[in-house]
Amino acid sequence: MNVLSCSINTLKGLYDISGVEVGQHFYWQIGGFQVHGQVLITSWVVIAILLGSATIAVRNPQTIPTGGQNFFEYVLEFIRDVSKTQIGEEYGPWVPFIGTMFLFIFVSNWSGALLPWKIIQLPHGELAAPTNDINTTVALALLTSVAYFYAGLTKKGLGYFGKYIQPTPILLPINILEDFTKPLSLSFRLFGNILADELVVVVLVSLVPLVVPIPVMLLGLFTSGIQALIFATLAAAYIGESMEGHH
Amino acid sequence: MANMMMMSSSKALITSSSTIPPSPRFKLSLAQIPFPKLPLPKSPKSHKPLTLPSNLNTISVILASSLAIAPPSLAEEIEKASLFDFNLTLPIMMAEFLFLMFALDKIYFSPLGKFMDERDSAIKEKLNSVKDTSVEVKQLEDQAAAIMKAARAEISAALNKMKKETQLEVEQKIAEGRKRVEAELQEALASLESQKEETIKSLDSQIAALSDEIVKKVLPVSN
Repeated sequence: MNVLSCSINTLKGLYDISGVEVGQHFYWQIGGFQVHGQVLITSWVVIAILLGSATIAVRNPQTIPTGGQNFFEYVLEFIRDVSKTQIGEEYGPWVPFIGTMFLFIFVSNWSGALLPWKIIQLPHGELAAPTNDINTTVALALLTSVAYFYAGLTKKGLGYFGKYIQPTPILLPINILEDFTKPLSLSFRLFGNILADELVVVVLVSLVPLVVPIPVMLLGLFTSGIQALIFATLAAAYIGESMEGHH
Repeated sequence: MANMMMMSSSKALITSSSTIPPSPRFKLSLAQIPFPKLPLPKSPKSHKPLTLPSNLNTISVILASSLAIAPPSLAEEIEKASLFDFNLTLPIMMAEFLFLMFALDKIYFSPLGKFMDERDSAIKEKLNSVKDTSVEVKQLEDQAAAIMKAARAEISAALNKMKKETQLEVEQKIAEGRKRVEAELQEALASLESQKEETIKSLDSQIAALSDEIVKKVLPVSN
């Protein structure tokens, strides 16, 4: 028994250091509603990073770009390219939406992997990527749904709803179901990937605190970037799909 | 004690499974190990069915504390864990995203996009203007070729002229020289002729005297 309790104590110490805290939230009360404080704090940091870097880089554009401006021009061209391939020639008005989607998710994911959030101790829960919380991913997915409905309705008016009986009216239930599966798959894909990535890293760190987790961390960075790209590309694809003409 | 019992029970499970030859049942028994092993059911509250978050967490904890048992305090924390906890955060995140979209559009997408488009069109314009000057360049090239042609023609004409002039001069000089030489030759010939005549004349007179002497010398003998 003595040996057992001793091992339990050491393990508890290890556990406290590695700190697997899944589904723990730092609750704030706003007018009788509960809010996940850690998500809001990290999202503010992400927004501050994005706005700050963009302001600094684009403040005074030069004809021959250098440094930050060059990077931001590259990013903008990348976003335009993604929107253009998915939406088509009328991609212009959707660049801010797709671009913000990509940048916000990308910076959120990478902030969870790169920024040392753990330095800041919270009374409950811990700071992590904002996309680690289901509320964020569902919010983004619902906005995507609203965006593609808006795109279809402004382009084709009420004729947009004609797409539900498009090949045959038999497919009506499936077409309606699609409108629910789209945000569901978008949000859960992002949420699951980021959460799983952080969990894997935390578990590996708790098992072997040296060297071994580094490849997994790099893989996590890669996955985070891919997830941001997938989310933005799919959002653009849905918008393009609802805008294209059904013959 | 409970822990010890659990340990023994898990051991018994493993040993029993090891005696059975590899079969689907073996896998099943292995998968069942984690659930009875964990000391989760401490309070009556925790008797509710296991949710996804606690499952995830138990798996990770099992990985972390491989063979040993998780500390009891963990169980309480796991109970409170809620992954799918929707609340006011969702609309707030929506609002934040929309704010970020408009802000980024104002300070990044629109200004830089406009700037890039303007630069593109400026470069295109410049390229087009460069294409237009190619006509001018061609004209200039033609002019240069014409000038070169004219210059060549002039040079060749001058060369020809000079050649002709020099040839004429040379011919003239040759003719002059020839005339002079001929004149000199004539003179020389004439002087030679006159000398010949003179010598013949002098010889004639000498011949007469000689013949007289010969006659004189011969005649007395013949007389």
